Amino acid sequence: MSLDDHAPSIGVLANPAAGRDIRRLVAQASVFPIAEKRNMITRLFSSLGMLGVGTVYMMSDGNGIADRIRHALETPPPSDQIWPKVVFLDMPIEDRAVDTLVAAEKMVAHGVGGIIVLGGDGTHRLVASRAGDVPITALSTGTNNVFPAMREASIAGLAAGLVATGQVPVGDCAVRNKVLRVDVNGVESDLALVDLCTSTELWIGSRALWRAEGLDQLFLSFAEADAIGLSSIGGLIRPVTRAAEGGLWLNLADPASAPIIVTAPLAPGLMIDIGVEAVQDLRPGEAISLRAERGVVALDGEREIEFSQTDKLAVRLEWDGPLTLDISKVMTYAAEHELLHRVNAN
Amino acid sequence: MPLSKDELLKAYRMMKTIREFEERLHVEFATGEIPGFVHLYAGEEASATGFCMHLDDRDKIASNHRGHGHSIGKGCDVDAMMAEIYGRGNGLCGGKGGSMHIADLSKGMMGANGIVGGGSPLACGAALAAKQLGTGGVAISFFGDGASNQGTSMESLNLASVWNLPCIFVVENNGYAEATSSKYSVACDDAADRASAFNMPGVVVDGHDFFAVYEAAGEAVKRAREGKGPTLIECKLNRYYGHFEGDAQTYRGKDEVKNLRATIDCLDRFRAKVTSADLLSEAELDVIDGEVAALIDGSVEKAKAAPMPAPAELLTDVYISY
Ligand SMILES: Cc1ncc(C[n+]2csc(CCOP(=O)(O)OP(=O)(O)O)c2C)c(N)n1
Ligand SMILES: [Mg+2]
Repeated sequence: MSLDDHAPSIGVLANPAAGRDIRRLVAQASVFPIAEKRNMITRLFSSLGMLGVGTVYMMSDGNGIADRIRHALETPPPSDQIWPKVVFLDMPIEDRAVDTLVAAEKMVAHGVGGIIVLGGDGTHRLVASRAGDVPITALSTGTNNVFPAMREASIAGLAAGLVATGQVPVGDCAVRNKVLRVDVNGVESDLALVDLCTSTELWIGSRALWRAEGLDQLFLSFAEADAIGLSSIGGLIRPVTRAAEGGLWLNLADPASAPIIVTAPLAPGLMIDIGVEAVQDLRPGEAISLRAERGVVALDGEREIEFSQTDKLAVRLEWDGPLTLDISKVMTYAAEHELLHRVNAN
Repeated sequence: MPLSKDELLKAYRMMKTIREFEERLHVEFATGEIPGFVHLYAGEEASATGFCMHLDDRDKIASNHRGHGHSIGKGCDVDAMMAEIYGRGNGLCGGKGGSMHIADLSKGMMGANGIVGGGSPLACGAALAAKQLGTGGVAISFFGDGASNQGTSMESLNLASVWNLPCIFVVENNGYAEATSSKYSVACDDAADRASAFNMPGVVVDGHDFFAVYEAAGEAVKRAREGKGPTLIECKLNRYYGHFEGDAQTYRGKDEVKNLRATIDCLDRFRAKVTSADLLSEAELDVIDGEVAALIDGSVEKAKAAPMPAPAELLTDVYISY
């Protein structure tokens, strides 16, 4: 049984790569298996179907999530649940980050009322660059993330479904996020949601940044004292909330000579001394040129851009990031407006 | 530690030598002059090179049926390898092993292996020896996605973990075991997931990027040398030729290999990165290309000219009485 095609739709975008980057070797980062992502997604279906979401659009992938969901759809849902119709997007599969970009674009083009993202900071970063004003429900799959929170999928599904079906007004419950944009030779190139860090390492290599050596400048859209990863360096000196107008900007240095040393949890199980030379406020719109002549730029903890002497890079904090749903606010609104409880007339 | 200029040149020479060796074998095999089976490693060079760049004389490797790259990486003589593949008496193993049994114990290359999954138990043995003797050496087993499903691979992961061996398991996932897709045949998400079950770190790296492999390999080798135990690293990569020379490859997409060569070739990527970072010049790399081409030309010429093993050699090196 499925709901009619005119019912509201939602995108569910799960990173098909099980967290297997080098942080399992150089730190003690958690592993989040695809089987559990599949379970989370079926829990989303329960909530979305109950609220009348008709269609869920999903990314096609070569790594197994789509296959497992197809398999899950072959057996009827538990008890009398009605799940939405699931449509796998018609798209080329490259098994790379570009798949996520394409899928997010297609979801937006299909007019979804929200995109539920399952992944880490990196996956959210990719979706954020394509989501426009479609509200994102951010779900972390793993403990190594700052932007998305670890939450129960059924509740996230309720919140996303309540908004997509118009039962809760998006304006009351979605928040705009700051982003860090990087311009390469005057052209807007990419963005980070939480941290943008330059390093004098030369290569993207195995992507993660986990050593103090080479870290050069760090730009933060927000910095929480209880965060994991690069943003903890700022968060442990001068915390900045997601809602605060500006961000932070730090020049890093060798801990042996730096005026401030922060012991920062750069990855799960990995506490490292980082030298800090200067901490400054980062004002929205202000373009800061990078001081390194060559090196790499890491976006939300992963090396993404290699640059050389001939490249000019600048970083800006902007308030034009993605809209994210505040799940607690949506659910509180639902309670106050009696959306999920009713008085028994008997 | 960033790679020095000499190290970058060495890495490029290693990858290029493997590539030329394989491209040339692809051509020569078609003439019918080479006996036996040949499985080519072209496309996967960054993996063997990224790991072998960290190894020295203390270290040992176990290879598989696709072993030319590992052999060159560990320092086997290219002329002697080519002669071996041609079945000549001056081959690395007297001409009796051929492509699938190339070995040179003096270089720590414990052998290509016709038994899928046969290498990892050998690597465990070498790692145990290094540990008992306190040499600081490590052992690496290179094996495929298909081999990762073998019982011997699982047993070796278990043993290496239980005995905390300086052993590194490198799954070279090229997407196929013969014609069977690894997406179908490997039950977990990534072959690297198996590491958690055996209580060791499991990591996936881009096997087309020398620098990605080199970095992860360096961490795993360091960990092993420091006595911290085994690691499993899965390199996602692709082979440019069939499973064996002569494979019609009906199971592959029409332009699959063409696209791979055009977009993610490990040698092209290496060249682009080091030249745009101004670390090496095109001219310096071109010199290596020329030297490698001459080396491979010479090795084929010499192999063809060399005599076959004498009939009297039939039983030497075949049986060993302990
Ligand atoms: C024990 C054993 N079973 C089967 C074979 C036949 N065989 C040779 S190579 C191969 C596939 C190996 O695939 P993979 O490990 O992925 O290595 P690749 O060829 O892709 O490098 C098989 C099944 C064999 N040689 N040994
Ligand atoms: Mg294979």
